Amino acid sequence: MSAVEILLVEDNPGDVRLTKEALRDGRVKNNLHVVVDGVAALAFLRKEGEYHAAPRPDLILLDLNLPRKNGRETLAEIKSDPELRTIPVVVLTTSMDEQDVLRAYEFNANCYINKPVDLDQFLQVIRSIEDFWLTIVRLPR
Amino acid sequence: MNDDQLSRDELLLELRRCRERIADLEHTGVRVQSSEALFGGLLEAAPDSFVIVDATGTVRLVNPQAERMFGYSEGELIGQPIEVLVPDSARAAHARQRTTYSEQPASRRMGIGLQLSARRKDGSEFPAEISLSPLQTPEGRMIISAIRDVSERREVERQLQRQAEALAASNDQLQQFAYVASHDLQEPLRMVSSYLQLLSRRYTGKLDADADEFIGFAVDGAKRMQALIQDLLAYSRVGSGGQAFTQVDLNDTLARVQRDLKMAIDESGADLQVERLPVIVGQLTYVVQLFENLVGNAIKFRRPGQKPHIQVRAKRLASGWQIAVQDDGIGLEPQYAERIFQIFQRLHTRQEYPGTGIGLAICKRIMDQHGGEIRVQSQSGSGATFLLDFPDRRAS
Repeated sequence: MSAVEILLVEDNPGDVRLTKEALRDGRVKNNLHVVVDGVAALAFLRKEGEYHAAPRPDLILLDLNLPRKNGRETLAEIKSDPELRTIPVVVLTTSMDEQDVLRAYEFNANCYINKPVDLDQFLQVIRSIEDFWLTIVRLPR
Repeated sequence: MNDDQLSRDELLLELRRCRERIADLEHTGVRVQSSEALFGGLLEAAPDSFVIVDATGTVRLVNPQAERMFGYSEGELIGQPIEVLVPDSARAAHARQRTTYSEQPASRRMGIGLQLSARRKDGSEFPAEISLSPLQTPEGRMIISAIRDVSERREVERQLQRQAEALAASNDQLQQFAYVASHDLQEPLRMVSSYLQLLSRRYTGKLDADADEFIGFAVDGAKRMQALIQDLLAYSRVGSGGQAFTQVDLNDTLARVQRDLKMAIDESGADLQVERLPVIVGQLTYVVQLFENLVGNAIKFRRPGQKPHIQVRAKRLASGWQIAVQDDGIGLEPQYAERIFQIFQRLHTRQEYPGTGIGLAICKRIMDQHGGEIRVQSQSGSGATFLLDFPDRRAS
């Protein structure tokens, strides 16, 4: 089985590293690509500029509070693009704001997850995401 | 003797009648004098200005207070239309209303809830409160108006209003600040604590004993701070959002509390007895949180080595429900009965009983939010009973 491609849109290097740690020993062989804001995320997805050789990700992990283009706008753009909208987007954020939850689903986020504060829970959540979206669900080819 | 002439007896009788009549008149005169004196004295002593006008709106009598208040002398006012005391802008309306009032007079206060103004001789105006009453006199119907200058009261009211607004604004800001601060603090702290945990996991036993100890303390501190921030967030969230007041069946609430606390109940072997409870009007999420905190505390502060017995029951009050949560735990000294509802107040070391000291402050805040009260009855060593008074209210 070939490696799955995961795009992590996250500006906090601490979270990037934690996500890497969690995915390193994951059950699925994966390639984690990291971009730090929404503009870069869309460039990656559309294979623009430096991302001309970027693979199409199987899963997007999207933070909401990002510089330049924030996660909400990025989500809206991905989900209104016929080429990109079938890629599952997991919103992974510290925001507990009910409005953020509602808006994410209105923009067709595939799920909304609060980053757990505790390390073990964080690792557990990342592995659950990986498990569910990359081994359990069936996605269009 | 002439027929017209009266007999002596008749004359005497007539004389006696005259004397009686004179006496009567004298008596009436004294009464009139004393009424006038009383009336005059009353007018002079009254704190308010009095202006008496006749049916045509002409001023007939004023007291000294009215002279001082309006800056006119008595002579300048008598004979003038009452409208000289009314601000220009209100004169026409005043004259119309006066006619209506004269047709059906009744004692009443003028301009209740209105910003009524009166006009001084120099043209300046002041806020006034005016009471009207009709007065029947031999000269026809008059209207007595009592006028009070309420400038000072208005000023005090305005100040109070301003202060209340400032207080509400500063409360809102504080609330907002607590929420934002605790939320934003959580972010960097998550990094500190996550990486400390990672350090401890990867390197415990690989450095030296000191390093292990240092990392241990750091991990512990970060964890405590996290608990604190989460509780602070929970505390500041109560009352920040407009959660609707709905019908809350407390039987369902306690069933849910029992499910949520299942682990703690099973581990402690707690016996939770819930009597039949009423349906109240409240904010569902917070009512659940309230009972979770109270039942959770009852389990946490059990007597060492004993299974806690916890009872929840309800009592109907005159205009609300009282819910009691009673335990047989360690209790507390009555002198601390109020302090425990303050934020960060703890009665035990963290080693004895872990916690941030926010739980009961949250309960208090939730009860405030419901317009109710929470208090505790307890003796050290003999359990505690928390009483919650929920006043009746409508759903929103």
